[in-house]
Amino acid sequence: MSELLEVTDLVAGYGDGPAILNGAHLSVQPGKVHCIIGPNGAGKSTLLKAIVGMLKVRQGDVRFKGKSLKGLRPDQVLRQGICFVPQERALFPKMTVRENLRMGGFSMPDKSGLERRIDEIEERFPILKERRDQHAGTMSGGQQQTLAMARTMILKPEIVMLDEPSLGLAPKIVKEVFNIMQVMAEEGITILLVEQNALMGLRHADWGVVLDLGKTLFEGPAKEVLGDPRIQELYLGGKKAA
Amino acid sequence: MADLIQILVLGLALGGVYALMGAGLSLVFGVMRIVNLAHPSLIMVGAYVAYWAFRLYGIDPLVILPVAMIILAATGVLLYKLVFEREARSAKYSEMTVLLTFALAMVIEGALGTAFTNTQRVTSPDYATDAFFIGSVFIPKGQLYAGIVSLVIIFGLALFLKFSRFGYAIRATTQNREAAELLGVNVNFVGLVSFAIGLGLAGAAGSLVSFVFSFYPAKHWEWIAILMSLVVLGGMGSILGTVLAAYILSVVAAFVGFYFGATWSTLTFFVALFVVLMVRPQGLFGEKPELA
Repeated sequence: MSELLEVTDLVAGYGDGPAILNGAHLSVQPGKVHCIIGPNGAGKSTLLKAIVGMLKVRQGDVRFKGKSLKGLRPDQVLRQGICFVPQERALFPKMTVRENLRMGGFSMPDKSGLERRIDEIEERFPILKERRDQHAGTMSGGQQQTLAMARTMILKPEIVMLDEPSLGLAPKIVKEVFNIMQVMAEEGITILLVEQNALMGLRHADWGVVLDLGKTLFEGPAKEVLGDPRIQELYLGGKKAA
Repeated sequence: MADLIQILVLGLALGGVYALMGAGLSLVFGVMRIVNLAHPSLIMVGAYVAYWAFRLYGIDPLVILPVAMIILAATGVLLYKLVFEREARSAKYSEMTVLLTFALAMVIEGALGTAFTNTQRVTSPDYATDAFFIGSVFIPKGQLYAGIVSLVIIFGLALFLKFSRFGYAIRATTQNREAAELLGVNVNFVGLVSFAIGLGLAGAAGSLVSFVFSFYPAKHWEWIAILMSLVVLGGMGSILGTVLAAYILSVVAAFVGFYFGATWSTLTFFVALFVVLMVRPQGLFGEKPELA
C-alpha cells in the first residue's frame, strides 16, 4: 500500500508558542476516508494546518507523493492538489454563491474550463444554483457548509481536508454534510476529516487516527478503532459502538 | 430653489473628490487592516507633484494625474516592502501600524515643509477659476472636473474589483484572509498590490485636490479627520460605503455651510463621526463589531 500523504514525527505550534504537535504521524491512503479523533486540544486542527502550510513545521516532515511540503505556503500546497476547508467561516460572506465558487477555481489557469466546472457543481448541488446570486453570508449554516465543501471540488483535488464540518449544525444537516463527503469520496477524492463527534466520524470513515497531546496514539481501520475498548473508554464516552 | 440646487451641485462636486480621497484609505484598511493615518499626507505629496509640474513646466494637473499615481504607487511598493511586510507577522500588528503610519505622516509633513516651506499653495490652471452657468446656478469648472475625474477613477476601481481576477483576490482577502490563502491567493502579494493601488489613488486625489483646495504640508491633519468620518460612516473597509458617505456628508456640509456659515461646514464631518460611532458603529455597510 503506497501512501499518498505521509506525516512523520511532526512538531508544530502557533507562532513562538509551545509545540501543540509533538511527534504526530499519519499515513493517508489514496481514495479512502480518514477520520482523526481525539479530545479537545489534542492537536487535530493543528495537524491539518501544519500539513497545509498555515503553521511552520518545526521538526519532522510532511510528504505528498514522496515530495516534502515543508516550507510551502498554503497557496502552493493547494496547487499540489490538497484542499483545506477550515472550521467555520470558510466563505466570503459578501460575495455571491457563484463568486465564491469562482474563487474555488482561483488557482486554475483555464478560465473557460472554470465556468463549465462550476456549472457541473451547480448541477450536483441544486441549492447552489438556486442561490447563485445571493450573498454567501445570508445562507443557512448547512447551505454555507455545502458551498464550502462543493467549492473544493471545482479543482478536482486529490485530498480534501475537512476541519469539523458538522460544527454547530443540526443533526439532520450533519447527515447531509456527511452525504456530501460521501459524494466527494465517490469521485475518488481522498478525505481527511477532523471530527469532534468521534462516533459519527468513524462510522463514515475507512481509517481512524487517534490523536492525544500532540501525538498519534493509534492508527488503523475505522472499524478496529470503533471496536477498541481503550478507545471507547477514552474518546467515545465509554459507550458500546452499535 | 435656485439656492438649494446651487448648494447641492457644489456639495456633489466636492463629494466626488472626498470619495476618491477616502477610497484608497478604505481599500488599504479592508485588505491589510491598516488604518493608514499617513494617507492624507500622501495625498499631499500628490498635490505637490501636480503643483510643481504646473509651476515649473506648465503641465495641467489632469495630465500629470497618471504620473502622480505611478509615483505614489511606486512609493507604496517601497513602503510596503520596507515597513509593512515585516510588521505583518507582529502580534501587535494593529497598534504598530497605527504608530507607524502616524510617524510616517509626521515625516512626510516635515519633509514637505522643509522642501517647499509652509506657504499655502494652489495649482491654478485656467479652469480652476472659471465656471459654467446654467440659469442662475454656477458650477465652478475646477470642482466639476475634479468631481467627474474622481467618479471615473472610482468607477474604474469598482469594475476592476468586481470583474478582474485580481479584483476577486482583493475582495476575497478583505472578507476572509485565511480562506483566500487556502484557495490559492498569495495574500502577501495582494497586500502589496492593494497598498500600491491605495497610494496610487492618493496620488490621483492629490492632483485633483491641488486645484480644488489651497494646501500646505500640515493640512493633512484636517483631511485625516474628514476621511476617517467617511470611512467610519461608510463602514470600515467598504469602498462603496466610503464613496456614498463622501457624497452624503459633503452635501450635508454644503448645506450647513450655507445656513450656518462656512466655519461650521467642516464640523459636519466630525459630528457625523461621533454620531455614527454612538448610534451605528458598523456604519452603512460594515459588519457589526464583534463583542468577543
